[in-house]
Amino acid sequence: MDTLRLLLNGFGVALQPLNLGLALAGVGTGTFVGMLPGIGPINAIAILIPVVFAAGIPPGSALILLVGIYYGSQYGNSISTILLNVPGTASAVVTAIDGYSMTRQGRGGPALAISAISSFVGGTLSIFGLVLFAPVLAGWAIRFGPAEYFALMIFAFSALSSFAGGSLPRALASTGFGLWLATVGLDPNSAIPRYTFGRIELLDGMDFVVVTIGLFAVSEVFQLLTESDAGRSTAAAFGRVAVSGRELAASAWTMVRGSGLGFLVGVLPGAGGTIASFLAYSTEERIAGPDGTFGDGDVRGVAAPESANNAAANGALIPLLTLGVPGSGTTAVLLGALLGLGITPGPLLLQEEPDLFWGLVASMYVGNALLLLLNLPLVGLFVRALLVPRWILVPSVSALAFVAVYAVNGSAFDLVLMTLFGVCGWLMRAFRFPLAPVVLGLVLGPLMEKNLRRAMALSGGEWGVLFDSPIALVLWGLAAFSLLAPTALRRWTPEPVGSESPAQENTG
Amino acid sequence: MRRGEVAGPGATAGRGGANGRDPGPSSNGAVGLADRIAGTTLLLLAGAVGIEATTFEVAFLADPVGPKALPFVVALLLAIGGLRTLTRPRPRRDVHLPDASSIRRIAAGLVVFLLYAGALPWLGFFLSTTMVVAGLAVLFGGPWRGGLAAGLTLSAALWLLFVALLSLPLPLGELWIR
Repeated sequence: MDTLRLLLNGFGVALQPLNLGLALAGVGTGTFVGMLPGIGPINAIAILIPVVFAAGIPPGSALILLVGIYYGSQYGNSISTILLNVPGTASAVVTAIDGYSMTRQGRGGPALAISAISSFVGGTLSIFGLVLFAPVLAGWAIRFGPAEYFALMIFAFSALSSFAGGSLPRALASTGFGLWLATVGLDPNSAIPRYTFGRIELLDGMDFVVVTIGLFAVSEVFQLLTESDAGRSTAAAFGRVAVSGRELAASAWTMVRGSGLGFLVGVLPGAGGTIASFLAYSTEERIAGPDGTFGDGDVRGVAAPESANNAAANGALIPLLTLGVPGSGTTAVLLGALLGLGITPGPLLLQEEPDLFWGLVASMYVGNALLLLLNLPLVGLFVRALLVPRWILVPSVSALAFVAVYAVNGSAFDLVLMTLFGVCGWLMRAFRFPLAPVVLGLVLGPLMEKNLRRAMALSGGEWGVLFDSPIALVLWGLAAFSLLAPTALRRWTPEPVGSESPAQENTG
Repeated sequence: MRRGEVAGPGATAGRGGANGRDPGPSSNGAVGLADRIAGTTLLLLAGAVGIEATTFEVAFLADPVGPKALPFVVALLLAIGGLRTLTRPRPRRDVHLPDASSIRRIAAGLVVFLLYAGALPWLGFFLSTTMVVAGLAVLFGGPWRGGLAAGLTLSAALWLLFVALLSLPLPLGELWIR
């Protein structure tokens, strides 16, 4: 009952005019950037962080906006997938199989409708999970000391490296690169400069907004420069965005199962929406057996991945908010935003900032309802954005990125840095190194080093302290397991699904 | 292969066959040129990071870990990645080096980006942004008049949003102030 009272208070916060407006702005932006291939939620959030700081929006409200972009993008990513066979983000790749088949059969409207409804089911059911599990995990994590936090962060790094798509050694190198960027600047303990190349601008360290926009947005501009723009302005006619009661009934249980599976996968670090959607799809394909028309325009083939990737996105917020440890590139950027806003996520967040936490949770219910309304009748408006020619879209996004990066420190040096990271990100994509571990390393690196040093200072230099408690041992075990399991799995399965899509996976 | 039909994230209809980027069967067993470049770069970076870390000397040790520990871990991770990339062939999906025309276009984009960073303090936000948006628009195959119009509109809108609404200082341009 206590939870219910807190949640009702949260609705009081979420329904304030400013917060309601920001939730609408967030989910609208999220749908838009999720749909357009190449922008993505991670860029949108990174670009908006300096704007939010400059505008002086209160932390709780800023969070409602940024998280709105995060889950809103999970609705948008299926639109271009279904209509154009071009997934907006990696977690919508599997939706293309049946979604695009439906479009080719002239059933694009029902596909869009079932995708919006599944996203809504996955979104709302998983917020329910968030309400139930976040307080439990927070109560548990309150006993974490620096040694346990250090082990937890090692788990987050190894899980993301393992599931980031592509080869483990490459992902480890990406993680190492991110951790290296994290060490740049004055060492907080000894005050000696590390890897500053004699530049005063680097003494404060690398700003994650500059690095993220460079790695993701600028590298995408370079990537798009190498591709032709042909065959784009051909969004198929999709008819009325509605679904028959029979099709809805057929996919009801699919949505519920997809939500549960997605939520569980989402809570785990590293895995995220891409793996959740693949798992949900293959599970439903197996359950349907010979009755299913999977691969040939089955509504359940859209319902399963779309409910799963939305649930996974919300599930991933649990470790972020209650432990302060993100498990993906996008949640790492959200952590950077939280820290910048002066919010320290962790087990104390629920006790010390109940309005902020429960306001956010309530705003997610509101946001999902708004998304359903936006996506069912207004999807035609969003689709029109797909027809904006690339020569207008890409330069506009670049200009936004310029302003955001310049706004961080008010220095043109950051623009040069951003451009260098753009080249770096493009090279990493071309050579198939995942980008998400870089951002995780950059944001989580300083926290990991701080906890290691604190643990060692408390023990007087005794390394055994890192393995002293049962919790720490379990976390070390999980870290080792996540590194070894996929290699072992690859031995058994001839063609792992995760390796089919390019390296920039798991940014959601 | 059904799943193979699906384009990757951020991919467009133009990617794939048109650019010859489709992975296809690759040199079995041999480590490709791209992997050798990537592996060597990583090893060099690991060496540089590790050697630089040995210079992080502190007069007295405030904490038992010190400033060197994380950099050494970084060097180790980069070295593991580099060594495995050099020694383990990737039979299923080889890396294709970008072709000459791609590199030319990217070089042009790079010049535009760096010009912006250089011009912004001198020419100011309005003029630099207009020019860069127009330049990028032409690079992406748009008409230069349209690009210029887009640049002017966008610069004005961003100036209004950031300077007038959010009172965020954007450079006016030292050239005009003098």
